[in-house]
Amino acid sequence: MSESARKKQRTSPRTSDITDTNPSTIYNDLHRLAAIAAKPVTPYRRAASAGAATPGSRTVRTPGTARTPRGGPATRPIPSRRAAPTTPHAIRALRERKNAARTPGNARRRSGRMQRETPRDILRDLSRVLARDKPPSPVVPARPSRNSALDLPEIDDGPEPAAPRLSMPLGDMYDDDDSIHAAPPRQSLLPHLPDDVDNGTLQSLEFGRRALSEDPRMMYTGRVSERFGDLSELGMDGEEVEVDGIFVNRRRTINPEDMLDEVPEEDMDDTTAQMLTGRRGGRPSDVDLGIFGEEDDETEEPTFRFTIPPRMQAPAPRTDDDTGNGNILDQTIMEEDEDADEDAEQQIFAGAETEQDEATAMIVDDDDPTNMQQLDWESDPGPDEDADLQAYREEISAIDRSLQTQSPERPLEARKRAGRQLKVLNVSRFGHEYPSVPAATVKTLATGFAASQGSKAKISKDTLEALVQTSDFFFEQIGEDLAAYAQHAGRKAIEESDVIALMKRTRQISDSSTVFSLAQKLLPRELLQQLRMPQKPKLKGPKRKT
Amino acid sequence: MAKSLYPRPTIKKIVKAQSNRAISKDVDILVFLSYTLFMRSLITEAKIASKKAGETGKDALSARSVRKVREGVLRKYKG
Repeated sequence: MSESARKKQRTSPRTSDITDTNPSTIYNDLHRLAAIAAKPVTPYRRAASAGAATPGSRTVRTPGTARTPRGGPATRPIPSRRAAPTTPHAIRALRERKNAARTPGNARRRSGRMQRETPRDILRDLSRVLARDKPPSPVVPARPSRNSALDLPEIDDGPEPAAPRLSMPLGDMYDDDDSIHAAPPRQSLLPHLPDDVDNGTLQSLEFGRRALSEDPRMMYTGRVSERFGDLSELGMDGEEVEVDGIFVNRRRTINPEDMLDEVPEEDMDDTTAQMLTGRRGGRPSDVDLGIFGEEDDETEEPTFRFTIPPRMQAPAPRTDDDTGNGNILDQTIMEEDEDADEDAEQQIFAGAETEQDEATAMIVDDDDPTNMQQLDWESDPGPDEDADLQAYREEISAIDRSLQTQSPERPLEARKRAGRQLKVLNVSRFGHEYPSVPAATVKTLATGFAASQGSKAKISKDTLEALVQTSDFFFEQIGEDLAAYAQHAGRKAIEESDVIALMKRTRQISDSSTVFSLAQKLLPRELLQQLRMPQKPKLKGPKRKT
Repeated sequence: MAKSLYPRPTIKKIVKAQSNRAISKDVDILVFLSYTLFMRSLITEAKIASKKAGETGKDALSARSVRKVREGVLRKYKG
């Protein structure tokens, strides 16, 4: 031990020779002098290992307290002498001494050092006092090695030695950061890549673009549906938007007659083929908020990409069904507080029924099942406009058909619809048909909750009907929300994290009630296990039962 | 609780149709969990509403009260 210490001491003048090239300050000179000066080797060793020097005090002192300040970090010979402490007391004492060696016990060591003061120590003290005013000099890197070699903890306390150690990794960090920050510009080039690039995660890095669209309410707002209600009441005006493959075209249909005149002449290429975002039919301000909102100006840019695959969003049905659903939601939710509105709704439905006959007749030649929805819900204005409307619709559908990418799903849909007349099939705004929430499930749940709240209430039939309808609304809403979340994450599929984010946002889950605690309360065990097993990384304090 | 609480494919289909997106594996369970919570609060609210309206009798949970409260509850569960 002492051998190695001496070796290190021998190296220290060499390291300090490097500093000779530096401009000589008083500090440097003193350091060199201190390096040259005689080193207090002997006192250290004696203080460390000389049990015989102070035999009396050694018998008295406890191992933990008294020996540590005396020896300091230089008491290396002791562990070598007694190899392994066996008693717990000795172990604790050794540990404490180690800790004491680690912490710079300035005062204690100085008190010990004062006894064996050498010219070297004086010089070092002087140099430390002088160095306080100096800017950190290149001498500094040489110091830690010598300090550690000499095992003089006092110098570790100076503010200077810390500086180089900190600055070096920090510089590295910034270099790394620069490389990280350099990445986003490359991301912005990505939209010019071909369409089929699997860039789901890369697109999610477009921070600025998505800033405004983050709020799903801006995209899927209830007010849009309200507005749809208004629009359908006024007949048609405002905008209509067609989704043509990757393009979303909005055109203004202020007047049906105008449209009749305009539409046939227009190639759809120039019918204000504006790049719209996701939601058509909203106010222009809403419409601009999407991800690609900044691309509004470059209308015909072929690099524009609509994130939803074109086949999925059957163009015509989206607009029309959206209108329709907005209608339903609006009318049912907003007005059904009174009883009278039910009559209104019935009327609407009746109107839809009557229209549907004509519509089905048209569908036969149109071969486009989704037009039925359009006809259903645009039939509100009244029977007097029927001729105009009919003509208008035919025009639209013709154009749409020409624009549509002929997806193979559509005839299939038609077939399905024909086959499953028995079940009530709703059609979402994306043109997918979906079953209503099963009434048995709703009833089970509702009865369970009603019973848990004390009453023995049986769910009556129309209550159940209302509940089922509400459930449909709920699923529509949650579908929209989840789609928005997934889109925001740049994914094409909805994942568990989306649902969890949604639940967090709606405060269904919090720190105190996790998904798993809720699931444990509300879901049967097999579902709970299903839920739990694949989510190992996401476990946040689940109760490990069973 | 019932043996199988809800038909998983149906819920999957509904969510898929409404969101126009693919659904990863266990999303429907979470969605159903959310739906369960929604249903619970809906029924609680509806019950309160019907109590307020002074409805009595064995049908304590009327369709009217459900319709009355559902807009608010839906809004609460809008993300």
